[in-house]
Amino acid sequence: MTTQTIPLTRSLGRPNFLSGWRALWAVIKREWVIFLRYPSWFISLFIWPIIFPLSYVMTARALSGKDGIGMAQFQAATGLHDYTGYIAIGTIIWMWQNVVLWNIGFSLRNEQLRGTLESNWLSPTWRFSYLLGSSVPQLISMLMFLTVSAIEFVLVFGVQFQGSLWLTLLVLLAAIPSVYGLGFAFASLVITAKEANAFVFLVRGLVMIFCGITFPVSILPDWMRPIANWLPQTYIIHAIRSSSLSTDGFPAIAGDLKILAIFGIFWLTFGYLVFNWMEHRARRTGAIGQY
Amino acid sequence: METNFVLFQPTLVTQFRALAAIVRKDWKQYWRYPLNAVSTVLQPVIWLAPVYFMGKAFSINGQALGFAQYSGTSDYMSFLILGAVLGNFVNAVFWGMGYALKNDMDAGVMESNWLTPVPRLLILIGRSLTNLSVTAVTSFGMLIVCRFVFGFHPTGDVLKAVMAIIPMLIGLYGFGFAFAGLVLIMREANTLVDMSAFLVQVFSGADFPVTILPKWLLPIALILPLTYGLDAARGLLLKTNTLLSIGTEVILLVVFMFVMLWLGSWIFYRVERRVRMLGTLGQH
Repeated sequence: MTTQTIPLTRSLGRPNFLSGWRALWAVIKREWVIFLRYPSWFISLFIWPIIFPLSYVMTARALSGKDGIGMAQFQAATGLHDYTGYIAIGTIIWMWQNVVLWNIGFSLRNEQLRGTLESNWLSPTWRFSYLLGSSVPQLISMLMFLTVSAIEFVLVFGVQFQGSLWLTLLVLLAAIPSVYGLGFAFASLVITAKEANAFVFLVRGLVMIFCGITFPVSILPDWMRPIANWLPQTYIIHAIRSSSLSTDGFPAIAGDLKILAIFGIFWLTFGYLVFNWMEHRARRTGAIGQY
Repeated sequence: METNFVLFQPTLVTQFRALAAIVRKDWKQYWRYPLNAVSTVLQPVIWLAPVYFMGKAFSINGQALGFAQYSGTSDYMSFLILGAVLGNFVNAVFWGMGYALKNDMDAGVMESNWLTPVPRLLILIGRSLTNLSVTAVTSFGMLIVCRFVFGFHPTGDVLKAVMAIIPMLIGLYGFGFAFAGLVLIMREANTLVDMSAFLVQVFSGADFPVTILPKWLLPIALILPLTYGLDAARGLLLKTNTLLSIGTEVILLVVFMFVMLWLGSWIFYRVERRVRMLGTLGQH
């Protein structure tokens, strides 16, 4: 038997636009199956929107006093009389960012721990599809989470959403690029730094301290306010409160939307660039397969 | 050749040596990742920040007068900081104790540890001792940081307060035995651990006086012994209004301690026996 050697001058893979989409679709399907296979998320979906804001709402209730002596101060500072809705919205946005950091931020890392990242990386596919594909089921689950949260706020806490549903959806749409762009950048850093729990604690801590999840940003000391102004979550929280709790309409959120659009472009671009940088670096150093 | 004796001779001294080895191993392992300790100290400070600023939004001339109507003190930050210390111990028991055996399972050393001639409860006691010491050290660090960042002003008897919470902590670790058993049989229990730890903190009044809970939720707070431990500690340190007299609360905590140590170890042995029968000890 004779063997014939054919010199290969090009890869056998023929990546094109369509194959990129097919790879993306395959990743989405795989992530969706994994998501449904571990149904403990179902409990979280219903329980967390109640228990997480509960402690802040109860503390606010204690701070307002038996005769509501503290409420006048709160109203003057926020312009709202419903501290429950105010806190519920702030905490839910924090939870959204927190879940994105853990799920999207650790999606590549989890694949690395499972030992499948290196083999996936060798396939002739669009590599960004691994990250983008993980985000789609996560985004769907988060939209379910936000919907359930809103219903539970009304039923359990008696929150009155007097604003516009369409404006609130518009703000959510404007928030997605910033929230997920940060997740993409984070995922690339995690794959480089490996054990990166401390980074998650740092980023979500920044949101918790500076973005006014339970208080108006105007309460912050002068030196802290500029930092709050550089975080997109500050504008997301403010805009969702304005659009859903007040009847001020579009003019109240126009400024926030403009800033969120700029942040969105920045974070998506930054996330993509960091991913490309990580990808080149990982191939050069062989870090993809390391634990 | 037939032998009618076993090679090992477990005595009190050998068991003490095993206990010391477990404590040493866990202590060494914890401090090998010093970032964990930094995180344990700083995390509660981060969690307290939103409440600190929220309190300012409700305060009149810097005084939380509304809060004083419920708790008996307008120093809401000291009130919350003590709650955060309790939260550290609750988290340590739920994550550290509850997950201690799960971590061994993941590391693949669970079955081999189980085959050693050491009483299984002793393994858990050893882990509790390290856990308790590490949490005490990091909580002390947290108190120092909080003193500078938020201001922490205990005005009462510190020694009495510490004596009052010791039975509560021992009881809490007794509960940890039962919880470790539960994780042993469930294996993947992140959601359960996360939610249970959070709910226990919320309903024991770590973040607010439990008297503000709606009437239908208040019974949950009142059946948790931790509520009385925290209440007594705050009463002694901050002179806050207490639910019962401090003496009665301490008696309740001592009873809780004995009940939980007995019940916790009983549940653990029952579950452990079941797991051995099922043969799932080495499974993930």
